[in-house]
Amino acid sequence: MTMLRTPPAPTAPQHDDGKWHGRTREYDLVKEFVIALVVVALLTTALAAIFSSPDIKQVTLATWSRSAPDDFVATAATELDGTSGTASYGAPYTHTAGAAQKLGPVSLQHLAGVTQPVDTVNDFVVNPLDSIPADPTLGIALGAWHAATAAQQQTWATDYDTALAKAPTTRPTDSTFGPVPTMLDRLLHLAQAGGLDGALLLQGQFFQTDYTKSLLFIADGTFLADKAAGEHLAGDQWGMMNETGGYPGQAWLWLYTFWYQVPPFSTSDNADALVWGVMALLSLGLVCIPFIPGIRSIPRWIPVHRLIWRNYYRQDNRPGGM
Amino acid sequence: MFTAGAHPALTSFLAAPVNLDRPGHYLHWGVIQLSVANLVVIAVMLALFALAVLLPFPGGRGRR
Repeated sequence: MTMLRTPPAPTAPQHDDGKWHGRTREYDLVKEFVIALVVVALLTTALAAIFSSPDIKQVTLATWSRSAPDDFVATAATELDGTSGTASYGAPYTHTAGAAQKLGPVSLQHLAGVTQPVDTVNDFVVNPLDSIPADPTLGIALGAWHAATAAQQQTWATDYDTALAKAPTTRPTDSTFGPVPTMLDRLLHLAQAGGLDGALLLQGQFFQTDYTKSLLFIADGTFLADKAAGEHLAGDQWGMMNETGGYPGQAWLWLYTFWYQVPPFSTSDNADALVWGVMALLSLGLVCIPFIPGIRSIPRWIPVHRLIWRNYYRQDNRPGGM
Repeated sequence: MFTAGAHPALTSFLAAPVNLDRPGHYLHWGVIQLSVANLVVIAVMLALFALAVLLPFPGGRGRR
């Protein structure tokens, strides 16, 4: 049993020992906790039975490459020539200079450094292809790739990416692109068979639970972004505040995601850092409400507490009673 | 949603009566894009807040 203080009583006896000398009444916190637990458990069970839960199928490299092979090959080409979103992201994946978002002069993104290094050329393309056995044509192509200089590899990849950008549905095969057409064709087949999902999950542990590389690769294409936009989950659609289908989402994130909808945040490359800074300032302001003149007086102007404790203020003729 | 390899009777028993896995409905006012589902949840939260303020405190009377 907990003794709860009654509301602030201006007429309570004044003492110098710092203890409460006004009236108290019984309040059973354990009883309230148990009742709340039971009610919430019953509500959760009933609502889950009636409405179930979101059941959107997982997007994998296999489903992506089967549904949108042109987008997959175009994305793989950008991984190979280093122009994809992941390849130029900066920390924590790459050392790309000037890629990080900044808050004033402070680059928050680079403070922790490159903690999960990703080499898109080898991690996403070359190493998975190296694992394919008994394919003489691919073997020759990979041999040419490994024997070439870095500059030659970059030229092949960039030229192929440029050609694809001009004609997205026509995959060039001529020899001016070196082994790249063969490599990306085999990568597409590997992905469609499900092998690339496994190759990017291999971490040398018993349980393979790190989907970072798969997700980065998928996110570099337009397939996932288009699906997210179709479900109203894109950043300019109040993103994480929404949920798939007809389910309610994380409505309490309305303020955080609101800033992304309005200038200057909606047009800034630094939006994540700026929005984080704004929310940090607002959160600090919330913590400091008791010390902010004007804001701390709002309860006097809008006395909701007197409505809640109306009996106290009405029956006892307390100062300021309703 | 329970479907994989289950007996049809069990599947129909466990399937949710209300299927929300269909495209949602959204309301637009300028930059504001609100799903109807979120609007319902917000309305329920406001209603609960109003009830919590206006309803008498349980057991509060006569024990002060």
